[in-house]
Amino acid sequence: MTRLSDEDLNKVERALAEAHRSRQEPALSEDWARHVMRDIRRGAAGSRHLMPSAGLARVVWRAAAVAAMLAMIFAGSVLVYSGKDKLELTALLSHEFDAGAPLVE
Amino acid sequence: MSSLIGVQTQVADDLEVIDRVLHGEIDLFAELITRYQQHVARIVNRHVPPDRVAEVAHDVFVRAYSGLPGFSGRAPFEHWLSSIAVRTCYQFWRTIRQKELPASALTEEHQQWMERVLAADSDDRFREQARRREAADLLQWALSHLSAENRLVLTLVSLEGHSAREAASLLGWSVAKVKVRAYRARQTMRKLFLEQERQDHDATQ
Repeated sequence: MTRLSDEDLNKVERALAEAHRSRQEPALSEDWARHVMRDIRRGAAGSRHLMPSAGLARVVWRAAAVAAMLAMIFAGSVLVYSGKDKLELTALLSHEFDAGAPLVE
Repeated sequence: MSSLIGVQTQVADDLEVIDRVLHGEIDLFAELITRYQQHVARIVNRHVPPDRVAEVAHDVFVRAYSGLPGFSGRAPFEHWLSSIAVRTCYQFWRTIRQKELPASALTEEHQQWMERVLAADSDDRFREQARRREAADLLQWALSHLSAENRLVLTLVSLEGHSAREAASLLGWSVAKVKVRAYRARQTMRKLFLEQERQDHDATQ
């Protein structure tokens, strides 16, 4: 065979796509569907059995979310109050400075 | 118009069945299996070996059942299920060990098949060649050299003719990722053929 050109490769690709499309249609039996339903029922029964732990997990996650929210509120208020303290401190210092000025003179 | 009404009735009916399944009538899920098993088998058959179709289609419905609470109903159930089917096939190729697959090698027959395809001067002859077993073998040989991602995207875009947007929706990827992957996968496959041809050429020298 000579070296494949781009055109040759395109032709081979088209043939392979045609081969892909002409694959035989599969048929699934009724027995197959019964097996699927059996596994689904088994899985559903299993998940019902696990319900208490799933419920517990939900409670834990909710508690964690509430705790995180409280922590954020606390952190926010600390920031706000510390900001106020800084303002007060600045005011006090400037007052001291003003009050102390005549003594220097 | 009547077919559109039929589709809308089917969609509404699916939603009602899903709602009842979610409210504990698990056995009604069998109705969805009956309605869509052929659709799912057809999708799965295009991506996995014929002897694994039943097993993978089984997984698709089990996954669909467990994912049912997440089904929003914005798109028809059939589309949602198609997406699960494609992603399950992707998982199949990600998890399967290479040694589980029968080793395939190209023979003189495949080389001759390629020559016949290239020489085909009419559509009928071309199609006749495409339906031969060698074509399917060659395709499987080429796909077996690709990663799971490249394999899926090449099958969807190059072999089945899905648009990048459709493939992205089925795979849950971005359109850009699909385009890049499809390009790379196609280049890899073309390199494979060129490499094979070079080896055959060297062997005959």
